[in-house]
Amino acid sequence: MAKPILRVENIHKKFKGTEVLKGLSLTVYEGEVVVIIGPSGTGKSTLLRCINRLTEPDSGDVYLEEQKIEPGKTNLNYIRQQIGMVFQDFNLFNHLTALQNVAIGPIKVKKMDKQKAYELARKELARVGLADKAANYPAELSGGQKQRVAIARALAMDPKIMLFDEPTSALDPELIGEVLEVMKDLANAGMTMVVVSHEMGFAREAADRIVFLENGVVAEMGSPEKIFNNPEKERTREFISKITRLNSVAKDREVL
Amino acid sequence: MIDHIQYFISIWPELFKGLVVSLELSVGALLLGLVIGLPMALMRTYGKGIVKAFAVGYIELIRGTPMIVQLFLIYYGLPDLGILLDRVPAAIIALGINSSAYQAEYFRGAILSIDEGQGLAAQALGMTKQQAILNIILPQALRLVIPPWSNEVIYMVKYTSVAFLIAVPELMARGKMIISQTFKPLETLFWVGVIYIIVLSIIAKVVDIIEKKLAIPGFQMSGED
Repeated sequence: MAKPILRVENIHKKFKGTEVLKGLSLTVYEGEVVVIIGPSGTGKSTLLRCINRLTEPDSGDVYLEEQKIEPGKTNLNYIRQQIGMVFQDFNLFNHLTALQNVAIGPIKVKKMDKQKAYELARKELARVGLADKAANYPAELSGGQKQRVAIARALAMDPKIMLFDEPTSALDPELIGEVLEVMKDLANAGMTMVVVSHEMGFAREAADRIVFLENGVVAEMGSPEKIFNNPEKERTREFISKITRLNSVAKDREVL
Repeated sequence: MIDHIQYFISIWPELFKGLVVSLELSVGALLLGLVIGLPMALMRTYGKGIVKAFAVGYIELIRGTPMIVQLFLIYYGLPDLGILLDRVPAAIIALGINSSAYQAEYFRGAILSIDEGQGLAAQALGMTKQQAILNIILPQALRLVIPPWSNEVIYMVKYTSVAFLIAVPELMARGKMIISQTFKPLETLFWVGVIYIIVLSIIAKVVDIIEKKLAIPGFQMSGED
């Protein structure tokens, strides 16, 4: 495989006495799409937030390429520019138009010339299929459109890796598809991605590797074929079949 | 009826001068309150340790004491320390300090009502905390604060009437003077009240227009989206 972009080593994180991450390690390689699945409360979101230090881990190391992220020593804001993040509930800036939402990062953080930043923002909006919504405010967009703007916003910083924290969980079923399409396009374009998601269809199609997280550690990981068809652990099999069943129930309901 | 109107016409020049002073006091005090109140709100919301404790202490001290005590302290008390203030500056400082504590709490409320996720998203883009506050949180909070802030404007125009206790010649003080000359308290106070109502209605309308002008889709407090 290619060179590692992200290395997480032996991360521990406790919240109020409950240990959520218990010595988790994970390496992500350039161009790889890693989908993280696992029961709720196993620290999937916490893991993503520990990577860009929105949450400070209790112990353990994170490396972006060769650079170790050290509190106090590393320029955290510079590291974060290189790690795109997409949130479950979009977190768009409500007082800015879609175009401004995408351009503000380059303008304020990278000190890019405004004209250039807006040009870039238009390009990124077009990339997620929202060129015609540039002038709309978040409140005027559907959930799926909001999430696509959020993806464009992260892309505008030209990140080395993108983290997705349950990007479709807050969406109505009929809006999930458009977001997953954008994510698949990104994956095909070679973006390195870590995706926390229970969209098994997406995982099957786009993932290079599926990581099953349980009780704060990696319980099992492997190619989609292996995890879906031939998992080593009984627990993985149980979880996959449960999620797949829920997915198909949701699909049936959609059809009705 | 004609009598009443003629009486009003006769006292209007005097009352108008008072109104101008009242509005000067209001503008001065509101601006001073803003200049102190906004930093206090930021210190109380984002500050830690002594910074936060200072802001909390200041706000609670000011809110917890009567405005009239603050006014008298500044006008009658400070000279003991060698600080002599004219009536109008003393009134503006007292009203402004009083207002700053309330404004700080309005701002804090507005800041806290912006969901935390937007701040996280800003930081995830690589913004510093200050950049996130300046570019993301404050532009929204300042819009949200307009309705409660307009309340403060209206309170302030009325509260300036306490300045008549240190003989600032504002609207109420002029009314009192007129009463002592004409012995017509009821008629005089009636017209003073009418002036307050008309001026405050105009101010409320103006604030309303400003609020609508600055409104962003999906962002109005009064729901018309």
